[in-house]
Amino acid sequence: MLCALRKLGLFALTLWAAVTINFFLPRLMPGDPADAALARLAQNGPVTDATRAAIEAQLGLPTGNLWDQYVSYLQQVVTLDFGVSFTYYPQSVSELVADALPYTLILVGLVTVIAFIGGTLLGVLAAWKRGTWLDALPTIGGSFASAFPYFWTALLLLFFLGYVLRWFPSSGAYSVTSDPGLNWQFIGDAAYHAALPAVTILVTSLGGWILGMRNTMISTLGDDYVTFAEANGLRKRTVALRYAARNAILPNLTSFGLALGGVVGGSLLVEQVFGYPGVGYLLFNAVINQDYPLMQAMFLMITVSVLVANFLVDILYGVLDPRTRR
Amino acid sequence: MHAVEDVSFTLRRGEFVGLVGESGSGKSTLGFAITRLSKPPAAITAGRILFDGTDVASIEDEPLRRQRQGGFAMVLQSGMNALNPVRRIRDHFGDIFAAHGHVPADRRDERMRELVGKVKLDPSVLDRYPGELSGGMRQRVSIALALSLEPQLMVFDEPTTALDVLVQHAVMETIRELQRDVGFTAILISHDLGTVLESAERVLVMHEGRIVEDGPSRRVLEAPEDEYTRMLLSHYADPRAEVVSLPGMEEAAVRRARGTTRAQDAVAEPTVGTRQRRAERAVVAEGLTMTYPPRRRGEEPIRAVQDVSFTLEPGGSLALVGASGSGKSTIAKMLTGVERPTSGTVRFGDLDIGRLKRRELRTLHRDVQMVFQDPYAALNPLHTVEYTLTRPVENFTGLTGSAVRRRVLELLETVGLNPVEQFAAKLPHQLSGGQRQRVVIARALASDPQVIIADEPVSMLDVSLRAGVLALLEDLRERWGVSLLYITHDLLSARLITDRILVLNQGRVVERGATDEVLRAPGDEYTVRLLDAVPDPRRAGMV
Repeated sequence: MLCALRKLGLFALTLWAAVTINFFLPRLMPGDPADAALARLAQNGPVTDATRAAIEAQLGLPTGNLWDQYVSYLQQVVTLDFGVSFTYYPQSVSELVADALPYTLILVGLVTVIAFIGGTLLGVLAAWKRGTWLDALPTIGGSFASAFPYFWTALLLLFFLGYVLRWFPSSGAYSVTSDPGLNWQFIGDAAYHAALPAVTILVTSLGGWILGMRNTMISTLGDDYVTFAEANGLRKRTVALRYAARNAILPNLTSFGLALGGVVGGSLLVEQVFGYPGVGYLLFNAVINQDYPLMQAMFLMITVSVLVANFLVDILYGVLDPRTRR
Repeated sequence: MHAVEDVSFTLRRGEFVGLVGESGSGKSTLGFAITRLSKPPAAITAGRILFDGTDVASIEDEPLRRQRQGGFAMVLQSGMNALNPVRRIRDHFGDIFAAHGHVPADRRDERMRELVGKVKLDPSVLDRYPGELSGGMRQRVSIALALSLEPQLMVFDEPTTALDVLVQHAVMETIRELQRDVGFTAILISHDLGTVLESAERVLVMHEGRIVEDGPSRRVLEAPEDEYTRMLLSHYADPRAEVVSLPGMEEAAVRRARGTTRAQDAVAEPTVGTRQRRAERAVVAEGLTMTYPPRRRGEEPIRAVQDVSFTLEPGGSLALVGASGSGKSTIAKMLTGVERPTSGTVRFGDLDIGRLKRRELRTLHRDVQMVFQDPYAALNPLHTVEYTLTRPVENFTGLTGSAVRRRVLELLETVGLNPVEQFAAKLPHQLSGGQRQRVVIARALASDPQVIIADEPVSMLDVSLRAGVLALLEDLRERWGVSLLYITHDLLSARLITDRILVLNQGRVVERGATDEVLRAPGDEYTVRLLDAVPDPRRAGMV
């Protein structure tokens, strides 16, 4: 318990550091958003000082010294007020993110969890039945599928299943005709739209989990406690799951933490290829359009999600491995 | 490859049989075959193992699993790792009871307590995780687990090898008592003829996959029939005897008994690389103390070494002996500057080792070199012997070109790896344990050091290889005048190659003096316990 509290304290400290760096980094960069906007306007003709003043007023130039700015920034972070987006003016950044986040979390997050669980189970099976077709099929199939570049698999699926056969929609998160909300019709429609990107993520990431689990499990199968468990005549299931797999999963949890942390930031490519209106898609547009408020909020969110995922895995590790509870 | 060939023997019910052999003799392979734990690609290609009239190899999977209860059980070599690190001890027992159902659910808790009591552990261990127990406790737990199966046959595969000397002794004691009281048939597999002769009524000696000797312990000790058994027996000696010697060390033993080891008149023959050969500076430790912060908050700090003082004269030999945790390796770390003492000083000539800066440590390491315990881990498996030796020669002596190679070959010659050209080209896995340890010693010699610190250099080697490495260390001191600090738990080897001894218990010096005097007439109870822990075949049949 004490240990969990210490971890929580450390987490809070890291979080504060990340938030603070996120405040200072843009201020260390040369130029400001107003310059960027003016530069774009200047391409169409000369810009007057009045225009500049108008833009600065519109963007809301920071007032006060650095410390005051920092304090008000912290207040804004706590109240989740990140200002107004340039690109999607006058929508607020928080609104945009809140709209996009569920799609990404459900699509990429859920699929990552499913891939981890499925891949781990297949890996356990492969290691336990080492040398049989139950080993060869997932191992070879998994490495084959994950050897393709991600976007290539995505394009293949999109072309054949979306374009040629027209079994699945080729972009969007739901049909224009459906009514977003918690109703079965919409959920079904959203799942239908999410199918192709989900399959792509699953196909490309499953292999890694299978191989990772299979290899660590093969090494725990050779450990003395497994041999001793067999010598004591424990049931096969007990030996495979509670002795070999239970220990083999520990190192894989670390990679799982990294993968979970990458859900928010790493979904850029998927969502771009499938035109899926999630966080990645939003981030891409923010970067293209130099939408500073949106970018800053998203970078912060990516950092925080990595931190949270690692914190959760850390706690989970403590629960699963008594040796780390110190 | 045939690991075991044409082996036949019969065990009577309730017999305690020892199976002895050096590494690679096939003794563990045999143990695994008897208990049907061999894993592919290992296979029995000829012959049968009958247990109660049934061919062990022919039992189907499920009946095999079920007969583990009331049939044959096994306690593994490294019992320390035989427990699942993420399950409590209680769950280990629970798994066995659940698998066999031979103890009714309402009696299980009582039975677990009874079993851990039998191996002399407190019932509170049941709620601990394996990582919270010491090595000896873990090995006792795995014996209790095997015992819970109520087996007719127990195979102990090197049950005490990884344990501390004093703990080894106590665990063997427990095994003997259990066998007497419970009455199971026991096979004790060990590389140590001494341990086996002490415990077993009957001994089988294995060599290169065959059984070369089979007979009652007493008879094997007094009238060994096989040459190999005689050779093994010749490598045991009583550290308390007047003159102690092992094969190949007879002359040195005589000189030592007369008090005239030749270190004083070692020749300062210049070598290819460096200046002088003889040690000229003494190592002096004064009030050496090392305290580590406690593992958990609120606990006492760990006093690894407390107020230890000694002098290692140039060309002298000093043994630091003690069980694990006595602080002997920590002292070695302070002598090489790896750790800095909490208080006290250790000097090499006019250098204060505890105060040296990183760059000055390099100069120190030219003169003070270590030989490590595990020759398997101390060599990079990807590098040839020549490469391994070339690096320190270049780094410490500044030699270049063909002179380096000459020096490397000279080093191999010094440590007795002939023909040198052949050994230079070999990779570590092509060498035996003893040969590897010689390479490690050669590497330590590369800088022409004045002091060699050898930390348990023979404890991982087969008994028959130990004498050779010990003789080499003795020879280096006598011929080249190198000072030797010899760290060990094994009093026999300390007696063989050192003049002075320091007995350490929990970081404190409990006894010191001339090695032969201390060991022949120990004054401290701890020294006596260490002496008793030295396996002695002559105690055969006395149990």
